[in-house]
Amino acid sequence: MTSTEFLQLVTNGIVQGAMYGLIAIGYTMVYGIIQLINFAHGEIFMFGGFGALAVYLWIPPIQHLPLIAALPFMLLGGVIASVLIAVAAERFAYRPLRNAPRLAPLITAIGLSFVLQQLVFLWFPQPGGGKTHLGVNAPVQFPSFGGKPFNLGGVLLQRADLLTVIVAVICMAYLAYFVAKTRTGRAMQATAQDPDTARLMGINTDRVIVIAFVLGAAFAAVAAITYGLRFGQVTFDMGFSAGLKAFTAAVLGGIGNVYGAMVGGVVLGIAEQVSSGVLASYHATSQWGTAWQDVWAFVLLIIVLLFRPQGLLGERVADRA
Amino acid sequence: MTTTTETGAQAAAAGAAGVLEARGVTMRFGGLTAVDGVDLSVGDREIVGLIGPNGAGKTTFFNCLTGLYVPTSGQVRYKGALLPAKPYKVTQAGIARTFQNIRLFANMTVLENVMVGRHSRVKEGLFSAIGRGPRYRAAERDSRENAHELLDFLGIGRHSGSLARNLPYGDQRKLEIARAMASDPGLILLDEPTAGMNPQETRATQEVVFKIRERGLAVVVIEHDMRFIFGLCDRVAVLVQGRKLVEGTPEVVRADERVIAAYLGTPVDGAADDSEGTAS
Amino acid sequence: MGNDVPEQGSTAGPAAEPTAGPTVTTEARLAEARRVSPSAAKALVTVGAVASLASTFLAWTWTPDFPGDLSVTGYPGGNQWITLAVSALLLVALGPAYGVPGLRWLAPRGHVRLLRGLALANLVSTWYVLLAVAIELNGIANWVSGSWVAAIATLLPAAGSFLLADDRHEPARARPLPRWLQVAVVFAAIMLAMLVTEYGITTGYTEEFIGFALAIGFAAWGLNSSGVLARLTDLTAQNRAATSVSALVAALVFVFIQNSDAYNTIADDIVIFATVALGLNIVVGLAGLLDLGYVAFLGVGAYTAALVSGAASSRFHVAYPFWAQLVLGIFVSMVAGVIIGAPTLRLRGDYLAIVTLGFGEIFRIAVNNLNGASGPDLTNGPEGIYGVPDLKLFGYDFGQQHQILGTTFGKFGNYYLLLLVAMAIVVFIFTRVNDSRLGRAWVAIREDETAAEAMGIHGYRFKLLAFGLGASLAGLAGTINAHLLNTVTPDQYNFSASAPPNSAFLLAAVVLGGMGTITGPLLGAALLYLVPYKLQFFNNKQLLLFGLALILMMRFRPEGVVPSRRRQLEFHEDQIAEAEAQQVAAAGTQGQEAGAAA
Repeated sequence: MTSTEFLQLVTNGIVQGAMYGLIAIGYTMVYGIIQLINFAHGEIFMFGGFGALAVYLWIPPIQHLPLIAALPFMLLGGVIASVLIAVAAERFAYRPLRNAPRLAPLITAIGLSFVLQQLVFLWFPQPGGGKTHLGVNAPVQFPSFGGKPFNLGGVLLQRADLLTVIVAVICMAYLAYFVAKTRTGRAMQATAQDPDTARLMGINTDRVIVIAFVLGAAFAAVAAITYGLRFGQVTFDMGFSAGLKAFTAAVLGGIGNVYGAMVGGVVLGIAEQVSSGVLASYHATSQWGTAWQDVWAFVLLIIVLLFRPQGLLGERVADRA
Repeated sequence: MTTTTETGAQAAAAGAAGVLEARGVTMRFGGLTAVDGVDLSVGDREIVGLIGPNGAGKTTFFNCLTGLYVPTSGQVRYKGALLPAKPYKVTQAGIARTFQNIRLFANMTVLENVMVGRHSRVKEGLFSAIGRGPRYRAAERDSRENAHELLDFLGIGRHSGSLARNLPYGDQRKLEIARAMASDPGLILLDEPTAGMNPQETRATQEVVFKIRERGLAVVVIEHDMRFIFGLCDRVAVLVQGRKLVEGTPEVVRADERVIAAYLGTPVDGAADDSEGTAS
Repeated sequence: MGNDVPEQGSTAGPAAEPTAGPTVTTEARLAEARRVSPSAAKALVTVGAVASLASTFLAWTWTPDFPGDLSVTGYPGGNQWITLAVSALLLVALGPAYGVPGLRWLAPRGHVRLLRGLALANLVSTWYVLLAVAIELNGIANWVSGSWVAAIATLLPAAGSFLLADDRHEPARARPLPRWLQVAVVFAAIMLAMLVTEYGITTGYTEEFIGFALAIGFAAWGLNSSGVLARLTDLTAQNRAATSVSALVAALVFVFIQNSDAYNTIADDIVIFATVALGLNIVVGLAGLLDLGYVAFLGVGAYTAALVSGAASSRFHVAYPFWAQLVLGIFVSMVAGVIIGAPTLRLRGDYLAIVTLGFGEIFRIAVNNLNGASGPDLTNGPEGIYGVPDLKLFGYDFGQQHQILGTTFGKFGNYYLLLLVAMAIVVFIFTRVNDSRLGRAWVAIREDETAAEAMGIHGYRFKLLAFGLGASLAGLAGTINAHLLNTVTPDQYNFSASAPPNSAFLLAAVVLGGMGTITGPLLGAALLYLVPYKLQFFNNKQLLLFGLALILMMRFRPEGVVPSRRRQLEFHEDQIAEAEAQQVAAAGTQGQEAGAAA
């Protein structure tokens, strides 16, 4: 494998990883505060994508704008969709079970993820879509950038890829500022460390939790749009696989640690791409690469959990004594 | 099903060296030193008290004695042998404990709780449980009888079929002790056993600890209730900010000015006694 | 079902004032209505029950087009049988209401709720079918006089039973029955349950199933409220051996009363599902390890058996006898369980869920890819191993027809017998392990792992043991499954996309059915298999309803349908505490200890 090919893999990995990282932030923030794996977060991600798509499809004027100008509207639509779902989930599904044994919210989350998936599967209009041979609704076309990819010394970078990295950086910068400098952000840190004391200090922990859900959902919506731009489609089941990997990324980086989420995501992305690429470059295994791609995430997770269970950057979870 | 982990000469040496020998135990968490070079020895059938202001590191020290934490430096020996690093191995070796916040198995019955305490003294595993041969049944019967005996010893035998969570608070504390004793320990660590109790119940707990000593166990007790400690213990060690300030008989400790300054506040005398720390 | 607070007699609204003022509240009106004498209300129920029973002999529509043919006068058809049975039951339930000696055991906690439940069962299932007639045949003109009779007749008992004041009371101490009678009652009850289940399995069309389900639902509620089910549960607890034997006999009778092999497929699938669910019950229900990829172990067992079964599509050209396949399948699954468990069981419980989900996916992807193109050819990729020969055990060929005691056993009937044995083994292991040092250690770990470790329990080792045991049991079921289906493909062993058993449904069967009990997962498996299967027109919405069911159950009845005593107390702590406080306040000088030994 040449060094250019290797760099290409790494670049692809960074892009993919940036997306994982954005989704992972939602998982990690919620887990850090209330020790709940929001199983439905993958579907929140998916809803964000469909929200953006809905704006594009149902508001004709938007379709006539150049894509880069349409994006803010789509972003708005996506964020609204995902945030609404996330807040509703927190309010009606998770909050009543706040004091129940751990199993109950987890099962609820699983149920919720099914409900959301199936709702989209049933109700989203499929313009021009038929059923694939599996009887599954054909994916809906998401707008994408035309034009040639940028060539950086042999490494190709699609426009959508560049956008992904840029928005990821912006989001992380905002998150860093939010967590460290704003009152709410600090309240969130306090709640994550010790919810009872935080409450005693006058912090409205319920609100903090809602905000965690909101932020996570917003970032997930952003991630979904980048997904749509890069792959040209959003599907009802895109949340399952992406969600699983994103959670892996969150654990990889250190659960509860928002920087860890992004780091974990990028590491995961790179590992995925490089492993597949390495497999592809040997003749004996040349056909293998793509089929095993999804497995690398878990292999990596197992390795990390074996040797560094607190994750790469260390976890930040309160001890729910 | 006994607790002697050594034989013959070693046991004699252990008896001489004491049941528990902790030397220079230090526990650091990141930049914080919670326990700093604490020595403690406990002899056969001794009752030792461990007191100090909140945050002095008493429970952390306990955790170092039970394998829950591995001390950053220092050594702990139980009956001459180095303490194993895992909590379950420590219990197998012969040290049992109760918890500051009651940690019973709330949804198991009282009897089951105590039987679980006996876990390390029974060997019957999966195939035995399925096969239910005579050895299994004998072991179960022994565990059950042992549990009943302990429950009666602590006076809560009538509750044996109730769920642990339904017990009144005082009885829950007793259940914790029964559970700890089920593993036939040589040393039992009691972490604030009279927290939340009224003077009568406290007095009753004192009696229980004396009875435990009579059964052959050594006891280390963390407490804030001074009357309880001074009326109970052979020796008292005072921990302040992770360091052992003083150690000696109750009279010596009471009178020590440093202890008074750091902890007791006012000279302790019979009548104007309100230095009994409330559990917090 | 559960700890209802004694009814005040009104739904909402301001409390009625003791002296009737000028305002007339709902409660006052209802109380006024109830001044209708109880005997009048009961008479209403009786008349209604008789009438609705009689109405089943009439025609309910003029055309035979409706499934079950409700157009015959003089003979009940289709859903009319359901109404007939429920009406008859309602008449029997009037026994305690009228103080008929010998029938008071039907309602130890009070007969009014029993009547209400049965009356509602009658009403809802009958009206459902009548409305279905109108809707499916386009128009209420399809009703005939018989339909109107049925419609009105079923209203009467409902009205009457609700006009009766609630008579909920603590049950009197049960009169101890002679042992033979206890066994007889247990046996009869289990046989009855089996027959009811058999009816549900062998329903020929959707309307019949829905009517059945509605009737069962309300009737169960009524029976539960009346305290009969609790009494029955006590009896089964006191007669464990008799219960097990009765259950086995009932399960055998099921297959013997089948005329054809058609419904045995359903039964087979349910038994596999239930067996695997029981295995998961050990992992989740006892040890508290949330395994979301459990079906992978079923798959490992199935693939192992298939690969050495002599199937032509298998890469391994060996044909082991079944017992060897079994041993190998169990062993390989156990190893798989240990391999997966070893790194992951050190983790916090929440992680375990995701990681096991990941492993489930890895299994599926791996066997899908090991087809020579994307990986070494081990498992023949997406096509899987097909052509797995039927089992031959001790000369008995499971694929062939056999005559036993006058009944013809086709392929699925044969497998049913084998599967019963497998399930019996799993139940046996579960029971033995539950009430043992091992079971206690698992529950202790689940309750508080730190405290358990402090008691000398090596948490990691025991968790691994649970995991490995669970995996082996699933592997056991898998080896049989491979032969039952004659193929093994990656798609069969999925998180949620395949027909049950799949990981999501397995977990649901255990959790919704009732963790840590035996009947819980069985009931869960039966429900979660039958309902989607029978309600075919819900096909697209199956998973949606499944998700909703999970959410609602966790919200309102997290301990599951069949709660283990522990669980129910765990989840309804506040309600119980409140009720206990009331009890203490009310009981005063009574010597009853709260939470007395069971």
